Amino acid sequence: MKDMEQLEELLNGYIDGELDERKSNEVKRLIDHDKKIFDLYDSLKRYKDLMNSVSQTPCPDGLCDNINEQLERQILLADTNAYSHSAGRRHLIFRRLMTAAAMLALTAILSFVILDIFVPKSSRDKFFADTMRKKSLKETLYEKPFPDEDESAPQTVRQNIPITPVRGNDVPLVAVLTLEVDWLVAKALTTTGIFNQTTAIDRQPGSVKYVINCSNESAANLLAELSFLWPQCSDAKLDIGEEQAGKYITINDISAPQALEICKAEAYPVRIKMAGDIAAANRAAAENIEKFYAIDGIDYEQLYTQKPALASAEKSPDANLPTTGDRTAVITIIVVGK
Amino acid sequence: MVKFIQEQLKNAGDNISIDEAALLSHAMAGNAEAIERLILKYQQRIYNTILKMCGNADDAAELTQDTFVRVMQGLRGFKAHSSFYTWMFRIAVNLTLNFCKRNTKVNFQPLENEPDEQLKQQLKDFLIDKNSPNPPDVAAAGEMHNIVLKALEKLDADQRAVVVLRDIEQMNYAQIAETLDIEPGTVKSRIARGRKNLREILEAAVQ
Repeated sequence: MKDMEQLEELLNGYIDGELDERKSNEVKRLIDHDKKIFDLYDSLKRYKDLMNSVSQTPCPDGLCDNINEQLERQILLADTNAYSHSAGRRHLIFRRLMTAAAMLALTAILSFVILDIFVPKSSRDKFFADTMRKKSLKETLYEKPFPDEDESAPQTVRQNIPITPVRGNDVPLVAVLTLEVDWLVAKALTTTGIFNQTTAIDRQPGSVKYVINCSNESAANLLAELSFLWPQCSDAKLDIGEEQAGKYITINDISAPQALEICKAEAYPVRIKMAGDIAAANRAAAENIEKFYAIDGIDYEQLYTQKPALASAEKSPDANLPTTGDRTAVITIIVVGK
Repeated sequence: MVKFIQEQLKNAGDNISIDEAALLSHAMAGNAEAIERLILKYQQRIYNTILKMCGNADDAAELTQDTFVRVMQGLRGFKAHSSFYTWMFRIAVNLTLNFCKRNTKVNFQPLENEPDEQLKQQLKDFLIDKNSPNPPDVAAAGEMHNIVLKALEKLDADQRAVVVLRDIEQMNYAQIAETLDIEPGTVKSRIARGRKNLREILEAAVQ
């Protein structure tokens, strides 16, 4: 195939008189001695002759005059600077940019009008308020959870302590983390005047943890303020912290009022005991209810008292903590999401 | 000014003849008569080359006009590194190829009448039978021109350009390479392929 192509190239070169003398003689010898090559040569020559024989078409009348006219016009335009290609192009680009900008502005205005018509003002205000609040919290409030601790001590251990349910599947998720719940907790902190005492807010995917360093009285107020949150929650946990990082005692099945009572207790060992007793009583009561309604085939889960999404973690008194004010408790509120 | 340009053109060596150099130098200096003579000298060849490449008389006339305008505009920048003839044809061919690429389907003018059987037979005899009349006699029938144009239409634009420049404009391979700004080897292979394809197209047309 390739040989054939090369042969045709050679024959075409021979026909066109483009070969040097040596090659030309060689091709001539091939044509004279090989019938097939002669036929191919003859065929190519006939096609070439046919193409050569195509008659020339006369030019249209006035072509020369038209060219002269166009040239004169070009020269005239160049002399008078009446029209410049580059200036015209620049002007065109500028106009296109202006048109694009106008289209964008129009689209923005239309979008705003449509938003104004179809989205209620209250929803918009809430959305903007949420956005602004989130932004301000992120900017100012994510600090170390225990500010009074030694700076050199590792912080991550305490921040990442897992809160493990004791009873497995019987303890459902504490609360559904929604913007609304989050907002309500922040609002409660503000209302009770202890927002400034919040030493850290730890936002993780699916959970938010507030660490508050405040007095017992303020803690009680906060829990009372959050009472309206309880119906939205399915369980409560009280985490009673101790001095050593990473060691928490978690007691489930405690309602918010019970948690409040526990927080009011002055001594740390007393709190642990109270929490344990209350939890045991709650669990026993729940099991009884469960058994009772299991007989009647009723979904007993519907009968549980709704409990708040609250947890309290506390450190025992620490000599390094500031002594000013009436700080006696460290409360951790955890909102856990799905 | 004219003398300076003439000197410059003479220094270009073999690329430009003395007469053409004088004509060009006057045209560069803006002499209207020289410009007109240049146009008259080349318009027929440029027009025919473009016509065979684009296949439409109106488009060919317009492209010829554009070619001369560009040539005259670029005349001052012409450095005589190549001959004026190939430089001008390069402008013409590039304009036409660009035009063909923009209008992917080249708008060849339709045949006024389909070639009759007699003409087909005549062409077939010529292409196959060695005793058939010479091509000029056949082509004199006029309609042969249309058949060849139709066959050219079906060629790839690059192959069409080399075939037209070689077989209609009678350029040699070196001139074609210079005009199209390609290697002489490429010219050789394109001519071979173009003619082969043309042969197949014409054979199919006369079957």
